[in-house]
Amino acid sequence: MSAKSSIASPAFSRRGFLGFAAAAASAPLLAACGGGSASQGGGGGASGTVKFWDMPWATPAYNDAAKGIAEGFSGASGSKATYQTIQWNNFYQTFSSAIASKTGPAVSTGGGFQAFQFEQQGQIAYADKAIEKLKASGQFNDFLPGVLDPFKSDKGYVAVPWQLDMRVFWYRKSLFEKANVALPTDWPSLLEAGKALKKVGAFGFTTGAGAGNNYANHSMIMMMVNNGGGVFNKDGELDLLNDRNVEAMEFVLELVSNGIVDPAAVSYTTDNMSAQWKDGKAGFGLFQVNVPERVGDTSGDLLVADPLTGPHGDKATIVFPNNIMMYTNTPSQDASEEFLVYYLGQLKQLWQKKLMSALPVFKSITELPEFAGDPNNVKIVKDWQPIAKTFASQGNSLNANLAALDGGQALNQFSQTIITGKSDAKTALQAFQSGLESVLKK
Amino acid sequence: MALTTTQSGLSRARRGVAPGGPGTAPVKRRSKLSAQTSRTFFWLLLPSVVLLVLIHGYPLIHAAVQATHDGNLLQTGNFVGGENFSTVLTSPAFWKAAQFTLWFTIVGVFGSWLVGLGLALLLRTKIPAGGTFKVLLLLPWVVPIVVSSTAWNWLVATPDSLIPSLFRNLGLGTPLFLADPTLASITVMVFKVWVSFPFMMMMISAALASVDSTVYEAASMDGATRWQQFSQITLPLIARSTYISWILMTIFCVNDFPTIYLLTGGGPVSATTSLVVLAYRTVFQDFATGPGVAIAFLMTMTLVVISVILYRQIRKSSVE
Repeated sequence: MSAKSSIASPAFSRRGFLGFAAAAASAPLLAACGGGSASQGGGGGASGTVKFWDMPWATPAYNDAAKGIAEGFSGASGSKATYQTIQWNNFYQTFSSAIASKTGPAVSTGGGFQAFQFEQQGQIAYADKAIEKLKASGQFNDFLPGVLDPFKSDKGYVAVPWQLDMRVFWYRKSLFEKANVALPTDWPSLLEAGKALKKVGAFGFTTGAGAGNNYANHSMIMMMVNNGGGVFNKDGELDLLNDRNVEAMEFVLELVSNGIVDPAAVSYTTDNMSAQWKDGKAGFGLFQVNVPERVGDTSGDLLVADPLTGPHGDKATIVFPNNIMMYTNTPSQDASEEFLVYYLGQLKQLWQKKLMSALPVFKSITELPEFAGDPNNVKIVKDWQPIAKTFASQGNSLNANLAALDGGQALNQFSQTIITGKSDAKTALQAFQSGLESVLKK
Repeated sequence: MALTTTQSGLSRARRGVAPGGPGTAPVKRRSKLSAQTSRTFFWLLLPSVVLLVLIHGYPLIHAAVQATHDGNLLQTGNFVGGENFSTVLTSPAFWKAAQFTLWFTIVGVFGSWLVGLGLALLLRTKIPAGGTFKVLLLLPWVVPIVVSSTAWNWLVATPDSLIPSLFRNLGLGTPLFLADPTLASITVMVFKVWVSFPFMMMMISAALASVDSTVYEAASMDGATRWQQFSQITLPLIARSTYISWILMTIFCVNDFPTIYLLTGGGPVSATTSLVVLAYRTVFQDFATGPGVAIAFLMTMTLVVISVILYRQIRKSSVE
């Protein structure tokens, strides 16, 4: 009887037990209700602590370095910053839930169009004052040409860019030598190179549209833009069925029908695609910055190609200007702005440590020996950055609708349809246009 | 008369009336105790019930609000009534996903049940290292789905992956298991069966363990064949467990997001998009919260109907 429960003891009455049970039951509720309190750091925390959320933009070493920079912040009024990594899985939900419960960040990086989505919902603090501070410090003049323009809305700067996720063509030099074919400079020569590469067991238009892989989506839009087309017209209206887009997709379908696109590419994840590059199956294709490091082949065989000239003389690629945004829920807007300016000023460390897989937005960083020492980087800055357009092309201003385009079902379905050759160009574009119309906010 | 006396005695015994004890007074005592007990139970249960209502009720009400509005995750938006439901129900993508979900569930439930049943029966026989086999057979269920889906991806994704290479070496061509819509659907379903059969095996093993072996001995003596023993004894005796496992596996399959999303992302060209994947993509990729939540509501209603039907089967099998 030594193990007799205290609940069974006469001293523990039924009423007492019920009271205990009610208290235990209400504890989690009270805890949940208290989630947004200042003690939890809601809206950046008490006493001017700026809560900074960042994404895993590269390896964990990147996040460690970024954390070091953030935590090194010390504002004029004694404000500090905390750093938290947010995973890409369900990131929009993570941000939305946190913002709704007032436990979100004061400053963050995030999805390419996230700032515009939250601006629409009244959660973004405009960065005009921060821009003024950058002008005052002279750092404003260090921005590469045109990188700030897409973030200017009627009400002010929605966010400030900090890196450019550029899409450029890469090639494996040894495969071109083996196939004894010249590097493509335009679409006809891309077709010829693709045919020659096929004879040596390689693919001339490497891409992927499997789980979580957006490279096929980007390749389709890039080919449209490279032909003077795009998803939107200059007025920002949906314009998928224009002749340039039809022509571009007919060309991609020609690549597919000639076996220049890997028939299994529709299911390739980014890891599968990287493996194709590493294993010498990929001869030519659209990819990001720093491909040799990403795929694990730094022998010098993987190189950046020249931009292709479209049939009508157009030269263009697409770029995702990743940005830092500020939120209205902050312990101090001044501290948020101070932190943003400080963080932008420290970015060069990330490139100096060779942690980034994207282009910097500052000219001074492109001139760093750690960056400029890589001829691929130099070529991208020199030849590709000046012709890069955003997803909004032919329009120039970014908006919340682009979030539903990038990674949305309509584009994904369209890309998969094209690279499997399941439809003609016009039908696929028509379905794409209808799909987008149903999800884009008017 | 004797029979009546016996029945009366049994009846009294079931009521807890001692032989020779008073007739109706104890019944009154019993009902008084019941009322007290009921009140105690009520107060003891109340905190849990309140918690459950809050935990399940609040999200349900919030979801109902979202399904009838045109807002987003942060803002409720305008009331649109049943528009989101009609949008979803008139969408070909919804019906395509519903069709895939149906096949995925049928194959997932019955495929894993058949494999699980076969292995449970096999493990009942005396085989060497049976315990080790049991543990090894549990691995697909135990291993995190992220790990197993990545492993399956590397086995089948590219023409040079292990399985396509094997087919090629056997002169069977180079099947693109994840790139061909039909093969991708089959691959996802086989993967689901592979992941789920250990659960079924455990459920059936537990049910089989409770079957008295003397029943089979008696059946053998009566001349029943092994098939008759299986179909007339084993299956009816494990019917209750079977229906419960079917209910659970149906819910697992209909709500299964990671198995599909990690392996194919719902592709190629939506060939493996189930309703839950469609709901996720609608809310978090198209940012159309109302229609996405409407899909989830329709799924929940369907699952409730299926569960009720199967629960009735359980009660029926219990009575039998």
